[in-house]
Amino acid sequence: MRILASLVVIAIIAIGIGVFIIRGPGPLDFAGGTKVALADYRAGKPTGVPARLEKAGLVERGEYLAKAADCMVCHTKPGEKDYAGGLAFKLPFGTLYSTNITPDKDTGIGNYSDQDFLNAVQRGKRHDGARLYPAMPYTSYTYMSDEDVLAVKAYLFSLPAVRAKAPDNTLSFPFNQRWAMMFWSAVFNPDTRFAPDSSKSPEWNRGAYLAEALAHCGECHTPRNLGFALDNRKKFAGAITAGWHAFNISSDKATGLGNWSDADLISYLSLGHAPGHGSASGPMGEAVDHSFSQFAPEDIKSIVAYLRSVPPVASSDLPATTAPVAPASHKDGVTADARGKKVFASACASCHGWSGESPVSPMATLTGTWAVNDPAATNVAQIVISGTRRHTPDGALSMPAFGNAYSDDEIAAVANYVTARFGTKGSKLTAKDVAELREQTAE
Amino acid sequence: MVAREFAGWIAASDRAKKGMHMATTLTINGETKSFDAPPDMPLLWVLRDILGMTGTKFGCGIAQCGACTVHVDGKAVRSCVLPVSAVESRAITTIEHVGSTPSGAKVQKAWLDAEVIQCGYCQSGQIMSAAALLAATPNPDDADIDAAMAGNICRCGTYVRIREAIKLAASGRQS
Repeated sequence: MRILASLVVIAIIAIGIGVFIIRGPGPLDFAGGTKVALADYRAGKPTGVPARLEKAGLVERGEYLAKAADCMVCHTKPGEKDYAGGLAFKLPFGTLYSTNITPDKDTGIGNYSDQDFLNAVQRGKRHDGARLYPAMPYTSYTYMSDEDVLAVKAYLFSLPAVRAKAPDNTLSFPFNQRWAMMFWSAVFNPDTRFAPDSSKSPEWNRGAYLAEALAHCGECHTPRNLGFALDNRKKFAGAITAGWHAFNISSDKATGLGNWSDADLISYLSLGHAPGHGSASGPMGEAVDHSFSQFAPEDIKSIVAYLRSVPPVASSDLPATTAPVAPASHKDGVTADARGKKVFASACASCHGWSGESPVSPMATLTGTWAVNDPAATNVAQIVISGTRRHTPDGALSMPAFGNAYSDDEIAAVANYVTARFGTKGSKLTAKDVAELREQTAE
Repeated sequence: MVAREFAGWIAASDRAKKGMHMATTLTINGETKSFDAPPDMPLLWVLRDILGMTGTKFGCGIAQCGACTVHVDGKAVRSCVLPVSAVESRAITTIEHVGSTPSGAKVQKAWLDAEVIQCGYCQSGQIMSAAALLAATPNPDDADIDAAMAGNICRCGTYVRIREAIKLAASGRQS
């Protein structure tokens, strides 16, 4: 009996240690400074809206915060009404659909009380008590202040109610057991509000709040642990999310943002392009279009100040330097993949040029971008498949989607050619890899 | 160069926020043209619909057929996807004027000598691409022609005569 009891105790301790190890540090633990309660912080105001909106009404403040939290991109199916849900997230174990967060009483959140809304956003608990899946980034939103969450609610409730029921999720067992998320949440959701760090500047604190609580950068840019939660030991070190490579945004000089100037970062976040670093596409393109481009300039600067402080973590899968400009003539440089070259000549060269420096616009320049320097060619293949469009600045550029025009084999060949010619190391994509990349993308 | 263009874009963006249309000035075929257009209007629309220069053709609208090819700073680009805000302060040459450039004149003569054209719809673009090729590579081989001309599609299948005419233009021979 005693042996059994001690075994149980040992098992519990082992599980406890295991959970502790897997969970790892929180998103702001790297800063290590002195945390104070938000109410006790006097040096600045890290939460809420920028100064120009300080006197605005609740709905207008909520609109700014909803955009900063980028609610719309996930809660809107392309071509359907804003915030009415139904966007599919294709996961290895089935498909999840985002919910309708318009104030419709039957199919949306029209019946949510303030407390219901706080529970959903900060704790991952639905109105009916069911658990949300962490595709909803409530482990990030949990850091939002109650005031800000309720401002977002006021904004959502000011929108027209749309009657739209999202399709049922198609998750397989055991992932279809919503109640089990209770345990996940207990381990991985800190369920705590943002606590400013009095040893850091007000600007840093504002940036930390925006990046962690609202913009939820880590949800794509931080690798996940065994429990599919963020592994902050490798904070912002880059990860594959929804079939796209969200690159390293730690302060690592070679593979992160360490060698980006402040102007580069500001330009990338607010316009989706930084000269010599490429243009935001895929999910980051959406984040720029719907969220970062709407940020007040001082908020963008705060995020930049915060990003600078995130410890460097090197990405071993990326080269230490990006490749220089390729030769101007198609005959020089890499010509290994004859098929890839053929596709490039007919579909790509007129805008991107043979050197990788676009004759059309710096936005279409390939040289220096991580996409072509990533030996996995993930984003090259994705951009070829789905195209890309920059909305900012106005009159920016678009690239057509080639996913239906070219076979998986041709897309693999052109991606391999492009990474070899304009990057440091050619990829070795196969038609099967391209088919898998197509599967992983959200709609 | 790149930084300057980019700064121009941001300025264009700021202007655009103040109103849909904005006064735009382009240098086309050596002449200065001023007009009002939204900054994201493709150059092709400006050429055809605003300036009435219909020699440049609309084909696919997604830079995949080459019918809309013009020269920007001497390079062949597809005008159907090129926002007008991206080409302010750059030299634009169209099919109406390419005959007065040395390579354009040679190409046009060779095109007539070799009787390249069948229906003709894609040929403005073909000639623009060929003229840019010869300006950069005066004696192109087959691989050079493939690399430069692959993005120009011809429904009539005049590819054999296009290749012949490019070689003719390069050699200066009569057909």
